[in-house]
Amino acid sequence: MLTFDHYLTPKSLDEAFDVLQRMPAARLLAGATDLLPWAREGRAGDVHLPAVVDLSRIAALGGISQEGARIRIGATTPISALQRHPLLMQQAPVLGACALWFADDQIREQATVGGNLVNASPAGDTQPALLALNTHVTLVRREGDRLIERSVPLSEFILGPSRTMLQPGEILLRLEFDALPNHGVAFEKVGHRRSLAISTVCLATLVHLDASKRIDDLRIAIGAVGPVPERLTDIEDLLTGVTPTSAALREASVRVADRVRSRSRQSYRREVLSNFVERSLAAAIAHAGLDLPRIPKESQNV
Amino acid sequence: MSDTLLDGGTLAEGCHPTTEINATVNGRKVQRRVPNHYRVIDFVREELKLTGNKEGCGAGECGTCSMFVDGKLIKSCLAPVQKINGCSVETIDDLDRDAGMSLLQQAFHKCGASQCGYCIPGMVMAATSTLRRNPGASRDEIKEGLGGNICRCTGYQKILDAVELARDIQSGAVPASALEEDAEAHSFIGQRTRRLDAPAKVTGAIKYAADMFMPNMLHMQVVRSPHPHARIVRIDAETARAIPGVECILTCDDVPGVDNFGVFIEDQPTLARGVVRYVGEAVVAVAAETLDIARAAVAAIHVEYEKLPSLFDPHTAMHDGAVQLHGFAQNNICKHTRIRKGDVDAALASADVIVEQTYDTQSVEHAYLEPEAGLAYVEADGCVTVQSPSQNITHHRHMLARILGRPINKVRMIMSTVGGGFGGKEDMIYQGMLALAAIKTRRPVRYVFTREESIKVSAKRHPFNIRYTMGLKRDGRIVATKMVMVADGGAYALSTPGVMNKSAILGPGPYDIANVWVDSIGVYTNNTPSGAFRAFGAFQSEFATECHLDLCAQRLGMDPVALRRINLMRDGATTHTRQQLDRVLAVECLEAAIKAAGWDAGVPYRQGQGKPQRNDFNYEGSRQSYLIGGQTQPLVPRASSKSDVHPVKISIN
Repeated sequence: MLTFDHYLTPKSLDEAFDVLQRMPAARLLAGATDLLPWAREGRAGDVHLPAVVDLSRIAALGGISQEGARIRIGATTPISALQRHPLLMQQAPVLGACALWFADDQIREQATVGGNLVNASPAGDTQPALLALNTHVTLVRREGDRLIERSVPLSEFILGPSRTMLQPGEILLRLEFDALPNHGVAFEKVGHRRSLAISTVCLATLVHLDASKRIDDLRIAIGAVGPVPERLTDIEDLLTGVTPTSAALREASVRVADRVRSRSRQSYRREVLSNFVERSLAAAIAHAGLDLPRIPKESQNV
Repeated sequence: MSDTLLDGGTLAEGCHPTTEINATVNGRKVQRRVPNHYRVIDFVREELKLTGNKEGCGAGECGTCSMFVDGKLIKSCLAPVQKINGCSVETIDDLDRDAGMSLLQQAFHKCGASQCGYCIPGMVMAATSTLRRNPGASRDEIKEGLGGNICRCTGYQKILDAVELARDIQSGAVPASALEEDAEAHSFIGQRTRRLDAPAKVTGAIKYAADMFMPNMLHMQVVRSPHPHARIVRIDAETARAIPGVECILTCDDVPGVDNFGVFIEDQPTLARGVVRYVGEAVVAVAAETLDIARAAVAAIHVEYEKLPSLFDPHTAMHDGAVQLHGFAQNNICKHTRIRKGDVDAALASADVIVEQTYDTQSVEHAYLEPEAGLAYVEADGCVTVQSPSQNITHHRHMLARILGRPINKVRMIMSTVGGGFGGKEDMIYQGMLALAAIKTRRPVRYVFTREESIKVSAKRHPFNIRYTMGLKRDGRIVATKMVMVADGGAYALSTPGVMNKSAILGPGPYDIANVWVDSIGVYTNNTPSGAFRAFGAFQSEFATECHLDLCAQRLGMDPVALRRINLMRDGATTHTRQQLDRVLAVECLEAAIKAAGWDAGVPYRQGQGKPQRNDFNYEGSRQSYLIGGQTQPLVPRASSKSDVHPVKISIN
């Protein structure tokens, strides 16, 4: 059970920093969907905190807007917005594809985009999709009376399981990523159960074809197969500038097995990851306008 | 700031800072001061006594607690109560706006979409959310919308039918008269019959044990053993006893009657007596004014243990010289059931093929959606009453009377609605402490398990190790079968003797075998007790038998169905326990099943033998696998795309 002496609901960043200044041990929360199950028997057990600070009513942490070629979304944007917000559906549909796999309807209404990054679970479902979108996160802290922002690439922000660059007294303000309305996208995930499953492997692919159907931009990011999500830069380099063929996708897929660094279910993850790379490349390229036949695979179960 | 900072004074044990909540719940303004660690579910259920929405898991997994907050469906067990301040909340209790049943609830009733009923409030809420957002939702979209809710009685098809029916009536595609009761047919067989308890289940009105409140009620919590096997040296409960609000603290010394109970073997104390035999065994029970105080008291009780060597493997436990867990059980054998028919050794010697294999099954948790709960009180005439979801109340009543040292007419058991049992609620595990606490305090006492506690404490399906030897003739006739089964019974017997009997009697399957040898041995270990679970032991042994027949078919190069057809019992067969059967329909049953499945006769693993693949996959009329993703949210086609839509179709490998 989670207990605390104070539950505070600041309405502005300044109020939030006032609280953090007075109670540096206060725990920030937004959706609380990870925090409450964590404080149960078998995980953290009974947890008592001096204070929790609910950031969900701070207007500055919300909002979705486009700034040129970049999209900005506030840290407390619920995951459900990724599926339903017209701007995101149009400019970054990979987020909607990933949100569909994120827990269930109810939790998507509660859980936030910022929370999924700050908690830095190795299985955080939004991380690969955001990584593929070249996301930067903006952190804010207060020095004296001034609010000071800094922007960090997502690829550097997550340091390891439950570890990020967020410093004490700092708040994740917003995310900024590329608007990619013309990219083909695919998102893959496998877990024990359709809804609520913790990812065993997840992967996001974004691809853009030029007028002659050559790949001129490719981004593949994987999650849940290591301590932090990462881009498959070697595959991206291999296929960029190339007119994709079924054989090229197969070749790319067999190269990725060594990227699995999880401690458990390694051989299973390797097989799934390899299949996912091939299938998601085919799906994203098809979504971008080029259908490639899949090379049949011999069953290994005979 | 919504919460003024307190002055830093320390609060008494079990007392928590409070917070004032202003919200609109089911259209009515409410203003309450509640402990500040309450979640939305606690506020609605414990404070407002709106118990339609249930708490199944407390961790956002099961969906029973789903309710609307400002029109958005959320899992109320994952939301701090402060989240609803100034908001409007809708629970299932008033979904119909005081008009009987909502359209969806009527459709659930019409379709028979409720079994134990515990998941149904959450299902109704999720379906309501889906149809509010998308009145024309397809069946796949309805499935998506129900993705965060689970049912453990496996009733999804009727639930989906119900949502579709409600959708179609709402759109006018189907007349509202479709909700009317079907005309009474001449026979009940094959007819849809309305369930009498369904209206109360689809509206959340029915009361499960955890939904019951009584004035002046106390809350129980239990100190449980952290060790698998240990001697209890000392119990220090003085600090806990001094906490204001703690009404009673019980140990085995408080049991007035004969403190040994069990379904078949009386080997279990109400609270651990001198020794604990598994992790999670109850040692001390506390009844207090509030749940928080009871929890604080449990945390303040110190039990000193002297660890003893533990047994986790039933084979090791049977060795001579192994630690003895119960004085009466030689070599820790709880129950040994033997079946001997014919001469197995001679028959095996005459067999053309002998196939040997070992099978293991694992421990399985029932995971019923309703965790264990109970309410006990003493009535005006001195009769102690326990209400709990017990699947065996008459027997529980007899055991209770002995434990309490009372005549049976001074003990009552009332079976509260069972929110899923599957055999797991046959065993009495907490009713004794509840009754004792009620007698001691003269106040009603309620005890509700958390999901974690339920998993830790309640019985599991017996894990079996089955050594199988079968002798067959080349034509597929089974001449002898020998099964040696060793089951982990855990720390107490519970249903182990019955489970051993049934696994032995039904184990060799519905096959006519002249020579049968079965040993079914249930063994005490320091694992969580094993007990009844759907099929009561037959599941494990039948699993091994059917796997073994497939293996034999493969060795003989036969179609596995043909092998079964040869050996199935027919009219006049003699069972393994030598019962004469006059009429047996096993062959007809098999023929009907293979016809329905479109079975493609032949040996398994055809592809591996270079033969053409079997053709009975995706048989006409069989359910297609469910592809998720694109159907509910087709991606907007890219500008350069040739085709119209490229949904991201994803199926789990």
